[in-house]
Amino acid sequence: MMLRTDSAGMRGKVDWLLIFAAVGLVLIGSVMILSAASPLLRYPQIVQRHVMALLLGGAAFLFGLGMHYQVFQDQSRVLYALTLAILVAVLVFGETVRGHRSWIRLPLFAFQPSEVTRICMILVLANYLDRRHKQIERLGTLMGAIGVAVPIVTLLLLQPDFSSAALLFPVIIAMLFCTGGSLGHIASITGCAGVAVALTLLESLSMLHPEWSQNSGTLQFVGLLSRSNGWLAVAAAAVCALTYLAYRASLAMRFRYPPLYYWVTAGVLVSGLCAGIFINRNIKEYQRNRFLVFLAPESDPQEAGYHVNQALVAIGSGGVTGKGIFSGTQSQLGFLPERHTDFIFAVIGEEMGFLGAAAVLGLYLLLMGRIVHAARLSRDRYGFLVCTGLTAMFGAYFMVNVGMCLGVIPVAGIPLPLVSYGGSSLVASLWAVGIVANIYSKRYAFA
Amino acid sequence: MMDSGREGLNARLDILWMLVCLGAGILLLRLLHIQLVQNVYYSQAAERNRTHVLRQTAPRGRLYARGGEIIATNQAVFSLIYLPPSKEQDAGTLERLAGDLAPHLKQYSGKLLQGLYRAIREESAIRLAEKLPPKIMFKLSELRTLYPGINLIVEARRQYPYGASAAHLLGYMGRMDEASWKRLKGRGYRIDSWIGKSGIEKVFEQDLRGRDGGIRMEVDARGRLRQILESIPWTAGSNIYMTIDWTLQKAAEEALRQSTSGSGAAVVLDPKTGDVLAFASLPDFDPNLFLQPDEENSPGRAVPEFNLALQGAFPPGSIFKIITGAAMLNEGRVSPEDRVFCPGYFELGNRPFMCWEHKGHRWQDWLSGIAHSCDVYFYKMGLRTGGELIERYQRMFRLGLKTQLGLPGESAGRVFGPAQRRARGGAWYDGDTVNLSIGQGELLVTPIQMAVVIAAVANRGTIWRPHLIKRIEYEGKRPEYRQEPEIAGQVPMRETTWELLQEGLERVVSDGTGRGVQIPGLTIGGKTGTAQNPGGDDHAWFVAYAGRPGEEPSLALAILVHHGGHGAEAAIPVARRILQAAFPQSAKAPIRLSTAPEGAAIPVELMHRSVLPQVLR
Repeated sequence: MMLRTDSAGMRGKVDWLLIFAAVGLVLIGSVMILSAASPLLRYPQIVQRHVMALLLGGAAFLFGLGMHYQVFQDQSRVLYALTLAILVAVLVFGETVRGHRSWIRLPLFAFQPSEVTRICMILVLANYLDRRHKQIERLGTLMGAIGVAVPIVTLLLLQPDFSSAALLFPVIIAMLFCTGGSLGHIASITGCAGVAVALTLLESLSMLHPEWSQNSGTLQFVGLLSRSNGWLAVAAAAVCALTYLAYRASLAMRFRYPPLYYWVTAGVLVSGLCAGIFINRNIKEYQRNRFLVFLAPESDPQEAGYHVNQALVAIGSGGVTGKGIFSGTQSQLGFLPERHTDFIFAVIGEEMGFLGAAAVLGLYLLLMGRIVHAARLSRDRYGFLVCTGLTAMFGAYFMVNVGMCLGVIPVAGIPLPLVSYGGSSLVASLWAVGIVANIYSKRYAFA
Repeated sequence: MMDSGREGLNARLDILWMLVCLGAGILLLRLLHIQLVQNVYYSQAAERNRTHVLRQTAPRGRLYARGGEIIATNQAVFSLIYLPPSKEQDAGTLERLAGDLAPHLKQYSGKLLQGLYRAIREESAIRLAEKLPPKIMFKLSELRTLYPGINLIVEARRQYPYGASAAHLLGYMGRMDEASWKRLKGRGYRIDSWIGKSGIEKVFEQDLRGRDGGIRMEVDARGRLRQILESIPWTAGSNIYMTIDWTLQKAAEEALRQSTSGSGAAVVLDPKTGDVLAFASLPDFDPNLFLQPDEENSPGRAVPEFNLALQGAFPPGSIFKIITGAAMLNEGRVSPEDRVFCPGYFELGNRPFMCWEHKGHRWQDWLSGIAHSCDVYFYKMGLRTGGELIERYQRMFRLGLKTQLGLPGESAGRVFGPAQRRARGGAWYDGDTVNLSIGQGELLVTPIQMAVVIAAVANRGTIWRPHLIKRIEYEGKRPEYRQEPEIAGQVPMRETTWELLQEGLERVVSDGTGRGVQIPGLTIGGKTGTAQNPGGDDHAWFVAYAGRPGEEPSLALAILVHHGGHGAEAAIPVARRILQAAFPQSAKAPIRLSTAPEGAAIPVELMHRSVLPQVLR
């Protein structure tokens, strides 16, 4: 299987297509940053920082490409310790920008550790799953994997960086899935998350339409749970009792399923309930507004819909060929917010039109396709898992960011890796691409 | 190296890859939908985002007097506009802006703030203040750098170079009101348009008004003007050439101002055509005041809007003796030689009617009776003629009917006689006839009606519809409109009656109550009148026609001095000054010059399109 003929792969050690995709995205991104940021007062500073980020990113790529990826597996504990240390450091020494304590300022430059730590988490988790692959079907392994991720997620939530933490979830799920994790386990975790998100949505909905909750017992009950711990306990007990009743009922009707199924169902529901209520209680107002805007764009609570609408107008008005670089009215005249960072895809859509936006889509697919390809060819399970995790990460960021610009996903403050302005993200992403290139180059066991 | 599980793992990886492709596919479809299917919708949205269209009021048509004097024109002024930023502005900034602007614009900051919020709510540019003088403009341009969204543009503003002159005739401009908006909506007007509110400005509103132009501006998200994308040129309004003789108009106003009460009306007509040569009413107002930026700050400004010449209906007093005389002479009830003895009073039954000359006029025939305005002569001859006939002659001279001058609010006056009394269910007595003979009683006439009557006497029978407009010059290819003289009626009287009537009126001036108006080298026929007014001082009347000896009369006038006292003392000086102005060679008056007004406005044509739409950056 690993000796499958791949003429391009056989010939070279370096995956030029992967590099082409990455460089293409970085180039488009750089041009767009130059264009979108040009009306800003701190334009020279932005250009200077971006050039520096490009240089550092190139170095990070070479670092990833040059260093044998198995070193990360060997030094997994060190890496994990470093990751946690850096996340603690940011909470202690970090600088607060717009309500997030997420920056570490060093003498020459500042960076956001969360961008690097998500790649570190993939490397650490890949090691854990690789070592436990024989017990992968066990619940303990699954819990262990979650145990590896939980400190990182918690530290991210403390910043608080809700978006980054939430986007680790699909990465973990994808890695569990691709190591051969039990589908039942994965379904349970997903179900738990599903209940939590659904509760948050329900609560947001009842805020959007107060009149609905007057007529709907469910919504009123959700509101009650958010306010009172006692009622939460009652609800949890009720869920357990109902599950037990269902178990007895199925026995009486001579259906025989293992009791474990019922306990898992109850556990999933209760933990989902608790997580959902926890989110409901701690979610920030602007974050809830993003949900609301997504649910009902026209409602526009506190102008939160402004971002989405302006992004849609920008992309939609771009047409096939776009308005030309430096000529987008939405971006150049300042209607589009966060235009060189989170909403850069909207600028591409406006100034380069469908051709440019589709090119970004195509390059991203090519990039992820090459990572998947490297996963298939990788010489060991560790490399496979790292590539899987990176595929999921790039895929999740790509879909959430572009989906946000296109109005199909709630606004989340995450960048489009390799394209958006932001040194930390660019350097981390290029490092990740470098690691993939290294895994590819080491695909032959004898090399 | 590869263990057996690897095959299964790759299968799961394929599923992951398919999910990624599925997601990308959905995004691509959405992208196609937004960019290609909904492109037009979003392009329009983007265009609305970045552009504001600001309508620019076209210069109104100019009004010219007979001699070419410009009596209403336009001036370049600055308007302060606010382009709302697309993002929510915090209330503090808006309040500070309103507070800073208020003293310069002389408006209350609360009102300004309302305007700012309205602009933000409606996402459209609004004018915060219009017609700002250049002095304020320079102060504002400093503020402009502090607050984005504030910009200045140039527009045309109505200007009346002669101030209050002919104010009642020209009218004034004002903001659109509710009723006008219903009428004018959809004819190129906006809710904040200025329209003519009275006079010529109102009557010819739609001719005077041109087609507004506009500027399409590119603005950024904070409402700052980036560039002018397009200037839509306006079409200026039509110029109107009026029949008014500016020298006579000025003379009439000046004379009325210096009359005993300083209040009254003067109408001068050309008896050969019905052209209105002067049309004055005092007290007047300066229509420029209505255009001041602080206009809205002074609510209830008391404006003497009442046009005495047109809307004021008064008892005619002795000037009505012209019509009484016409009736009695033309119907043959009285021969001009018939004499009446005036002891200073007349008794009807046991009720005495006084002559104004309490000493009495002794023996009076037609010529001396009219010359001295002997009331007793007309009491007796009026009774001999009868109320019915006198009423018929009132109607023949079109009293009780509007003259159709064409300005709004004209009063029709009131006919007085047996038929009118019967129509109202009353009985007519001889005492009424006596009163009617000398123009008292319930009879009411307006100065413009009396001017038409005296003009008909001057031209021997033709009642012209008095008119103010000579021609209207339209913009573009539409041929100009010319006002031809229109005959409203004829007074069919015998030539001998006209001779007697004119002879009588000329005798008034040469040897009677109107001696004060005599001007050497002119043939003038006139009649004084003093209308008794139970509510105050008498109103002084004088009607007259004048011309070169041996020629047909070329001018007819009617003067009313409101509460002025005796016609001979109050109204005659006014008439005399107008006649001196009209026939300068006859009197020792300066040669008539058409002088340009001082401080003339920049004509809009000179301001030129290339200059005007420029927004001051």
